[in-house]
Amino acid sequence: MSTKNLIIAFGIGVALLLTTVPLRAQGQGGAANRPAASKPWPPQKLSDGQPDVQGIWAAVNGGSTSLTNPISGGEDFDRRVTGENIRRPSRVIDPPDGLLPYQPWAAARQKREESDYEHPTRPEHIDTQHRCLISGIPRLYTIVPSFRIIQIPGSIVFVWDEYHAYRVIPLDGRPHIASNVKLWMGDARGHWEGNTLVVDTTNMRGARLTYIGDFYSENAHVTERMTFVDADNMTYQATVDDPTVFTRPWTFKIGHRRRPDDETWESACWEGNPDPDVWLKK
Amino acid sequence: MRGRFRSFVILVTVMSVHPAVAGAQTIPRTADGKPDLSGIWQTMNAAAWDIQDHAAQKGVPGGPGVVEGNEIPYKPEALAQKKKNYEQRATLDPETKCFLPGVPRITYMGFPFQIIQKPNELTILYEYVHTVRYIFANGTPHPKGPIEWWLGDSRGRWEGDTLVVDVVHFNDQTWFDRAGNFHSDALHVVERYSLMDPDHINYTVTIEDPQVFTRPWNMNMVLYRHKEKNFQLYEYECYGFDFEKIYPYPDLGAAR
Repeated sequence: MSTKNLIIAFGIGVALLLTTVPLRAQGQGGAANRPAASKPWPPQKLSDGQPDVQGIWAAVNGGSTSLTNPISGGEDFDRRVTGENIRRPSRVIDPPDGLLPYQPWAAARQKREESDYEHPTRPEHIDTQHRCLISGIPRLYTIVPSFRIIQIPGSIVFVWDEYHAYRVIPLDGRPHIASNVKLWMGDARGHWEGNTLVVDTTNMRGARLTYIGDFYSENAHVTERMTFVDADNMTYQATVDDPTVFTRPWTFKIGHRRRPDDETWESACWEGNPDPDVWLKK
Repeated sequence: MRGRFRSFVILVTVMSVHPAVAGAQTIPRTADGKPDLSGIWQTMNAAAWDIQDHAAQKGVPGGPGVVEGNEIPYKPEALAQKKKNYEQRATLDPETKCFLPGVPRITYMGFPFQIIQKPNELTILYEYVHTVRYIFANGTPHPKGPIEWWLGDSRGRWEGDTLVVDVVHFNDQTWFDRAGNFHSDALHVVERYSLMDPDHINYTVTIEDPQVFTRPWNMNMVLYRHKEKNFQLYEYECYGFDFEKIYPYPDLGAAR
């Protein structure tokens, strides 16, 4: 891709991003720069015994470019313009080499998807997130926009600031829904182990995990551990077990931090999503 | 055991003798004494097709409308637009584009929704396209406009046991139903949620839009609580269906 094309593409990307960013930031006078309100630690117990971790949270170094080299969008742009490789520590903590343990055919598939993402010629080469599709679990915990945790007796609820994505996680030990039902957000069941929320998610649709084409199939089973380490910090860890695509289960980790309590305003992504031709190379 | 049975008999007797009193006492309440609207609800009417009285057509259930008095007081030019909308509803209805359907249409789309009630804020999670709506109930005013949102800006307050939600800052892109009933961006909606008993909400909506209607008018319907064991919201990713053929890697799907 020539630098000129790249800059045009980047400009379009920024324009699209701006159209989908909620108005909250504009309305609240730079709220993102204010410190989070202090919350008690150890956390208060709610009526059903859950530790109270409600509020707004976001990944500390969020971004969907890559799990194994999680550079920011800006770094991704710099890398392309300058041709210099930028490395960030892999989010993958198991296997120890920090790489995704693809089966050979799946590794080839990821490479092809990465190439298609760089040079999209068909609509399906555009990342699902850019088409406003819900990214699912665990990807939604790696994106930049924040989410809100709301706790009600017997359930914990996550509502994302964008894509109007949400998940209601029952904590009452009920069984999963029938295995033939596939959901964009999967079917989640959770329980607390001290200050760690453990969530078991099945009934997934296959999904892309990153811009560079990492993926899992609809046979994926995700186990998440969200450990609230103090009033303002949470460590998110997800283990993906998908024998269709990988040679073994793998685990990644990403830190999250509490953000100021603010009103969340409407996010309408699909309603303003342009024709895919805008992105495609002819 | 015997004592528990006796209490049960007394309770039943009280409820049957004084239904009004018993009803007032038995609606669920939050710790701060407000009626507790938490739960999963759904309408049971034909308003998604047409909010006015209408006969069935193929694929369209008929039924009584939800508009009080049945007449919608359109201005003459707006009535002409409504008729045009109806004739071209197959292509003009924003629902066909899977856009956020607006308020109050999202309520009676026919999909379940979950109300989460906190003292200063209610969150409504709708199954239809994962729509999320926040109702701020901490006494703050609407943000200063002009703002054009699909679902508007919702500010709630309690009038006795009724949650009153004032909604403004709409765009003019949504309809009220599949029959072409419409509004402008001057739309002002007031919703009233009032528990009739633990499992039914009386839902009344006042519609005001001086650009389209000659006077305010009301809708009224009942919201029914889902009581099935382990009931939960599924998904209706409206625009996602068209993408299932290409995303993500459908050829990887195991035999379903």
